[in-house]
Amino acid sequence: MSRRLSPSAWAALAGAAVLLLLPLVVRSKFALHNLILVFLYASLAASWNILGGLAGQHSMGHAAYFGIGAYTSTLLFIRLGISPWIGFLAGVALVAVFALAVSYPAIRLRGPFFTLASIAIVEVLRRVAIHWRSLTEGSVGLTVPFKPGWQWMIWRGKEPYYYLTLLILIGVVALTYGIRRSRVGYYLRAMRADEDAAAVLGVSTTRYKLMALLISAVLTGMLGTIYAQYMYFIEPDSVFSLDLSIELVLLSVIGGLDSVMGPVLGAALVVPLNEFLRGVGSQQLQGLNFFIYGVVLIIVVILMPNGIIPTVRRWWERLNGSRLATAHTKGVAR
Amino acid sequence: MRRDKAIGTLMQAIVSGLLLGGVYSLIAIGLTMVFGVVRIINFAHGELLMIAMYLTWLLNLWLGLDPYVAVLIVAPVMFVVGVAVQRGIVQPILGSPASMKIFATVGLSIALQNLALMLFKGDFRTVQTSYSTAVMRIGGLSISTPRLVAFFVAVALAGGFFLFLKRTLVGKALRALAEDRDAAALMGIPVRRLYVLAFGLGTGLVGVAGALLIPVFYTFPTVGQLFGLTAFVVVVLGGLGSMPGAMVGGLIIGVVESLSGVYIAPALKEAVYFLLFIVVLLVRPQGLFGLGRGTEEVGLK
Amino acid sequence: MSLLEVRGLTHRFGGLVAVSDVSFDVGEDEIVGIIGPNGAGKTTVFNLISGIFRPSAGTVIFRGQDITKIGRPERVCRLGIGRTFQVVRPFGDMTVLENVMVGAFARTSHLAEAEAIAREVLGFLYLDHKATVPAGSLTIAERKRLEVARALATRPKLLLLDEVMAGLNPTEVAEVVPLIRQIRSSGVAILMIEHVMAAMMALAERIVVLNQGEVLAMGTPEEVTRDQRVIEAYLGEEVVHA
Repeated sequence: MSRRLSPSAWAALAGAAVLLLLPLVVRSKFALHNLILVFLYASLAASWNILGGLAGQHSMGHAAYFGIGAYTSTLLFIRLGISPWIGFLAGVALVAVFALAVSYPAIRLRGPFFTLASIAIVEVLRRVAIHWRSLTEGSVGLTVPFKPGWQWMIWRGKEPYYYLTLLILIGVVALTYGIRRSRVGYYLRAMRADEDAAAVLGVSTTRYKLMALLISAVLTGMLGTIYAQYMYFIEPDSVFSLDLSIELVLLSVIGGLDSVMGPVLGAALVVPLNEFLRGVGSQQLQGLNFFIYGVVLIIVVILMPNGIIPTVRRWWERLNGSRLATAHTKGVAR
Repeated sequence: MRRDKAIGTLMQAIVSGLLLGGVYSLIAIGLTMVFGVVRIINFAHGELLMIAMYLTWLLNLWLGLDPYVAVLIVAPVMFVVGVAVQRGIVQPILGSPASMKIFATVGLSIALQNLALMLFKGDFRTVQTSYSTAVMRIGGLSISTPRLVAFFVAVALAGGFFLFLKRTLVGKALRALAEDRDAAALMGIPVRRLYVLAFGLGTGLVGVAGALLIPVFYTFPTVGQLFGLTAFVVVVLGGLGSMPGAMVGGLIIGVVESLSGVYIAPALKEAVYFLLFIVVLLVRPQGLFGLGRGTEEVGLK
Repeated sequence: MSLLEVRGLTHRFGGLVAVSDVSFDVGEDEIVGIIGPNGAGKTTVFNLISGIFRPSAGTVIFRGQDITKIGRPERVCRLGIGRTFQVVRPFGDMTVLENVMVGAFARTSHLAEAEAIAREVLGFLYLDHKATVPAGSLTIAERKRLEVARALATRPKLLLLDEVMAGLNPTEVAEVVPLIRQIRSSGVAILMIEHVMAAMMALAERIVVLNQGEVLAMGTPEEVTRDQRVIEAYLGEEVVHA
């Protein structure tokens, strides 16, 4: 019974298969670019969700890790010629140290205080990055030189980036799925519901919070490197971006916090439309786009507090009655 | 001579900081009161300030109204906006967990920022008045007149508000509600109506702040993010729900910002008080005056 | 040597003394009760034993090990003490089965094993028909049983029950009493706080009476209910004849 996969897991596998084969059929650079961005944002949102949805710690400062990852690998590449494949490891290590030193004390604060602290952390990093011109070139930003080659994580065509980001997304989704169906996942969800009640059941809340934080932060930092290598340009305002942090929250809440595919769905709904509008060029249209997302977020909170996927799942279960529950998962986390 | 100049610079920085801090206090008082009474952390508070600033600018653009006159229209309008936000968004989710309430206000913040972007584009707007650049010289210090006016109005309004809370029946009801919601409800206090009033008043105060700021600042769609964040820093420093705390906290942050800008680096002036903010959160989350009241409902224990 | 030895337990909150020089034992297969008026310090004693607070003075020895200074509830749980809360705290978003599995994971890290343990415990407490239901939708009686099931899944040697009968009607109380006896028979000692005297008289072999943080009396149910000081402080004349 625990071995069987749920319907949504099968759907995800089918979707992954389609996506893996897609570049054989679709050649449009624009389409591939859009999908790459969807994969990036979906991975970012899914990584955020490990801490935010699963563990219930709502960080609005995840861009801190994104930026540290991006700047570390890029600086090592530009200044010392170190390959980003190695550079991202350094970035990830730095993110881990940062998360331990700064975010971890903050996460001992409950709820909104942690959220506020995380915002302040990102804002400090952004301003420091702007100010410390000798290191980061400040607001001018850093340009990644175009040196194509597998060893530099730079390619001419879109396809390699497509597969890289898709594989990462599949990896993050699989990791989330694995966590949910393990002791770690159960403990995180229990802590999210009631930390003290979890503690008397043997859950070391500090250890598991730290675990969720490190996993989430490290993944985000790694994605910072990928972003830098794809966009060829980073600057404080785009990587240490409060807006990006908030967008990750938006994606996950709309899609569904307490689910594996929720953040992916959120990204799939939001990102393509946004990119399309950005291509059309109007600032005002982009404003309309995000205005709608803001309104959707409000409506989701009022009507569907669990987000789209868990709500749909519950409707589906109610339609099918207990037959579905006893046949498949018997109440065990999917 | 050099020592005099150094002291002069210091005094100038402190005074400038206090003047701006007064406005920070006014913005923060609204935020902390909404928290104290309605027990919600309103992430869109900065955006409410932005609306007020745009509104003042529009009144100036269309009707030629001076901001100090327009405030008489802006404040009541913002009161109504606050009421609308409370009834439309906050009320339906009063029973939700604290984190979801925050997401709703985050959604509101996103919506409002982008609404401004749609309507007014990203351009920076301000109102140039005859006194925008006026400066008074007092004791060797140059003090910007509109900032001085803003400071006095802010402090006077804050003081008036404190009196309202202390002396009037409604004010006492609000304080009772902030102290113990269940007891207040049992004593017949109309909780929902007071929530609406609190939100309206808090937003009205922010409306005044917006009108006071537009002669000396620019408004643009994301101006709310910066001021909103600063308001949170002030509120946490002063203590969530504490109005004296918001007053004192605003002045402190204003001075810290000003001194950081002069003695450390202009690009880092906000970074310094954000760092201070983080330190306060880690070391004394209840702030200077906070008693930890109501923190359970907002998700703290 | 008893399973649990509490000696001179004292705890202050600021200037207020909540618990003062409390001493008692709980044996391997015993059911020991704690009664007393509200504010007597009963739940504080539980919090001190289960590691939520560290006592200002005194010792708590469990299975020969001094656990006084641990101060971490999860470690105390791992050592074999489970507890329930007076106001039940189910993990509302998770199903009943998942709730109990959280407890079961204290003894194993395997999903399948935790599930098996959880199902067994649910069956024991007559909750298996509700396994797939979200915990937030249970009745109060069911939630109480879920609370016990969760703690039981951690395979404790000592179970602290904090007013498990509160809020139950007499029929529900009558259902829970044999369950508690069965828990004891399965090898778990029980320390229970209770106001429902009928249940206490039926279950407890010994009773500790707390008043204003101090032990007022200790003994068998019959001894304690006849003790004049206990009657004055807590019971009132009627209960003796109940």
